[in-house]
Amino acid sequence: MSIQQLNKSLLQVENYSFSYESLNDNQVLQDLSFSLYHNEMSMLIGASGSGKSSLALCLNGLYPEAVEGNSTGNIYFKDKHISDYATGELQQHIGIVFQDPESQFCMITVEDELAFTLENLNIPSSEMPKRILEVLHLVGMTNNKHKRLHELSGGEKQKIALAAVLLLDPNLIIFDEPTANLDPVSRIEFIDLIREIKEEKKLSILIIDHQIDDWLFIVDRLLVLNKNGQIIANDKPDKIFPEKIPRLKQEGVWLPKPYLNPLTVKADSRPTNKPVLLSIGNLSFRRKKSTILSDITLNIPEGEFVTIVGENGAGKSTLLQLMAGLITPDRGTISFQGKEIENWNEKELRANIGFVFQNPEHQFITDTVYDELTFGMKLNGYHQAEIKARTTALLSQFGLLRHKYHNPFSLSGGQKRRVSVATMLSESPKLLLLDEPTFGQDADTTHELIKTLVMLRDNGTTIIIITHDMELADLSDTILVLQNHKVAFSGSPSALWRKTDLMKRARLRLPYRIRTQNKLGR
Amino acid sequence: MIASINPSMKAFSVLIPGILLALTYDFFTPLFYLVFILIITFTLSKVSFYRWIKIFTPFLLIAIGFSWMTMLYTSEEFSGGHVLFEVWRFEVTSGSFETGVSLGLRSLCFVSLSLLFVLTTDSTKFMLSLMQQCKLPPKITYGILAGYRFLPTFQQELQLIRQAHRIRGVARSKGLRDRIGLFRRYVIPLLANGIRKAERVALAMESKGFSGESKRTYYHEMKINPRDWLFLFCMVGSLVTIASLSSYFGFLNIFGKQY
Amino acid sequence: MTKHWKLKEIVLMSILGVVFGVIYLLFFFVGQGITTFLTPFGLGPLGYEFIFGIWFIVSILAAYIIRKPGIAFTAEVIAAVVEVLIGSTAGPTLILTGMIQGAGAELAFAITKWRNYTLPILILSGMLAASVSFIYHLYASGIIAMGAWIILASLIIRIISGALLAGILGKWLGDQLAKTGVLRGYALGKELQKKREHPAA
Repeated sequence: MSIQQLNKSLLQVENYSFSYESLNDNQVLQDLSFSLYHNEMSMLIGASGSGKSSLALCLNGLYPEAVEGNSTGNIYFKDKHISDYATGELQQHIGIVFQDPESQFCMITVEDELAFTLENLNIPSSEMPKRILEVLHLVGMTNNKHKRLHELSGGEKQKIALAAVLLLDPNLIIFDEPTANLDPVSRIEFIDLIREIKEEKKLSILIIDHQIDDWLFIVDRLLVLNKNGQIIANDKPDKIFPEKIPRLKQEGVWLPKPYLNPLTVKADSRPTNKPVLLSIGNLSFRRKKSTILSDITLNIPEGEFVTIVGENGAGKSTLLQLMAGLITPDRGTISFQGKEIENWNEKELRANIGFVFQNPEHQFITDTVYDELTFGMKLNGYHQAEIKARTTALLSQFGLLRHKYHNPFSLSGGQKRRVSVATMLSESPKLLLLDEPTFGQDADTTHELIKTLVMLRDNGTTIIIITHDMELADLSDTILVLQNHKVAFSGSPSALWRKTDLMKRARLRLPYRIRTQNKLGR
Repeated sequence: MIASINPSMKAFSVLIPGILLALTYDFFTPLFYLVFILIITFTLSKVSFYRWIKIFTPFLLIAIGFSWMTMLYTSEEFSGGHVLFEVWRFEVTSGSFETGVSLGLRSLCFVSLSLLFVLTTDSTKFMLSLMQQCKLPPKITYGILAGYRFLPTFQQELQLIRQAHRIRGVARSKGLRDRIGLFRRYVIPLLANGIRKAERVALAMESKGFSGESKRTYYHEMKINPRDWLFLFCMVGSLVTIASLSSYFGFLNIFGKQY
Repeated sequence: MTKHWKLKEIVLMSILGVVFGVIYLLFFFVGQGITTFLTPFGLGPLGYEFIFGIWFIVSILAAYIIRKPGIAFTAEVIAAVVEVLIGSTAGPTLILTGMIQGAGAELAFAITKWRNYTLPILILSGMLAASVSFIYHLYASGIIAMGAWIILASLIIRIISGALLAGILGKWLGDQLAKTGVLRGYALGKELQKKREHPAA
């Protein structure tokens, strides 16, 4: 007998459909029927755009009202129809932790944010300090009561978001891609925390994510949504995976790594004896009296694929900005192609060094995708015919032909990312710098970007990329580990994976390939 | 200490003298009130002089410019008295001189009153006090705080956009049309992102059971104490006193009329 | 009135206040530039009149996006409160100024019973905000002590600035934003979508 049959359901969804506009066209969720049970950890997966996040807000009753959308079908919570709950009541039983750690708070300090939840519940103020301390203890953040939220790391913010939800004393907590914006070690910590709290509080939990790997071993049941917002599987994970893989692949669901072929075959030919493209000597950088980087020396040969890893705040982004000549060092030298960066003509430097920012929107400066791609070439006085030929080639290479005349802001996350990379390639730079380009992106986007990067490297472009994604780092020729404002390691991935101690200190995690090898070896 | 005065009361304590001060056109009243504000600022609050003067100095220059314009273009009503000096085609009379100095000093009073408030008031407490004392609806109070939280994010984003534009060579373009384009290139990404954030934060707040109802308990109970009234009385009272003194010495001028 | 507003609309107004709080600094330099140019003629302070309209843009942009009674007024007041939180040197007085300017901007929409959000009304809104705020400044800054022609010149410059920098620029920004697709959940975005679906209408 399964857990479901023993347990009465907590939440029941019957033939539920939802759309933002009229119900006739563009249904986000289609005819869903499923139940969630007491003390169960279930997980909902699906490709991006399958309406996963909308579902979370439909379940806690904020949708369709908040977006003036439409819905049909029924949702029952504890056998009572959700529309029979008073405003604000259902949300106290069903809490949500959202994806973006930056935009789920309204107060300045940790303490005030937690008090905000308690005030919503009309808890007497005399009781608040005790409850705040308790919940901070529960999520392991006791020392952060008086901190300002914007000073916390992403992982810490998510813990506070969870703490705020726990104060509601809910029966069900929905986690909407809670770790998508976290670095790998914080992700593991957060998942462990969820598991502990579930055990302690006997809660029902629904995880919504596109990345299954780290959850796979703690969830009781998997629900799979397809691109049309329909449920195509609802069972224990080990029942779904071996059987339904082809179907899931077709739906663009991020498969757990045991069932996935390696992303790209690792290049076996490390460039040897190539001339140095970028050279940094004794570089230091300070900001407002605090050291960001100190005494950095490194050489990057032409054609190398370099990843920079390390904890947040280790100075990775600053180093990249220095390499691009966007800021100037306090001490030390940076030379590009043997010439000091300050001595370069700005125009030529920009044509030779491309820089892809974390948020693609920051780079957009025109109305259409086509104009975005031609912008740089027009500025540099390329011939009309050449501009046209190059742009068309880039558009087709990046699968953007159909979106040629679309506003870049209106594209999907993956398309925006492709446009931002494509704009940097129009003038064929020698060096391409990327600042966490896969951060918060879904499986398809990440996969596509990695394919593009491998292709560029094979064409001879030198690539330096900041990332938290160890699978991506595993593909590189050289990894630089930044720790305590210094380069703590510089060498091949395989050499780094052996330095267990350093990995721990720099809060890095082994890539999946090595983790399984180690397991097999043991 | 001024930092511990109830924020709403403090707001009224700088607002009311400001409004009253706008009635006066002599130099005596704003000059001595300015001295009074400075004394209050540096004896009753922990505002550092260096920080204060850094903010104040640019306004000193603006005030001088404003005085100068007023002197040159005073209306007949205000420009009585003998001619002091002539510049270009303009005659500066004792009346217009006094009006100019008065308006300049008045604007300095406004600035120092504002600084007295801004530099000693905690943002969150000010909002909470507006909600608890001035009955601002919670929906608006927390809505404002939720947006205000993003200030550091937007400042950082502005920096990044600047860099991203440099990478794309936008700096290479010039001319008025490009300037308008530049404005748009900064504002659109900031706003687009901001609007998405507004939506997400609002949903997160409502998911925590926030319904906007005015009945709620308060973690920080904001109260009005006798000393808050005393402060208000002091700020307004001293202006009235100074104005009376001014009248006694025959300086006080309200809308061009001598009292 | 707040019952008819969604929380996201209020947060949006606040965020407009924050974003423009950051942007205003850029404009401050523009004003400074014009001022430096005019100072030798003793007309320095007129420099700020040229850019005065930008201070009303939040009113007009918010009203154009959200399209509900009271939005133009509230958006300006919220923006003023946010500026005070950011640490504006105008202090609490700014909230009073915000109320006055917001009331001026709201007047234009009230005249049309909050049904018309076309360009002429948006421009009118900017001009009314300018006029009403000018009446206030006559008193508060003591402009009233100056000669009639300079008062008139200031007023005209401010009204034109209100029409251009608040009315026209506000509408233009709103339209640009709508094109990015982020306004789908607001009246302006919905209107655009309808137009796309039924181009004839």
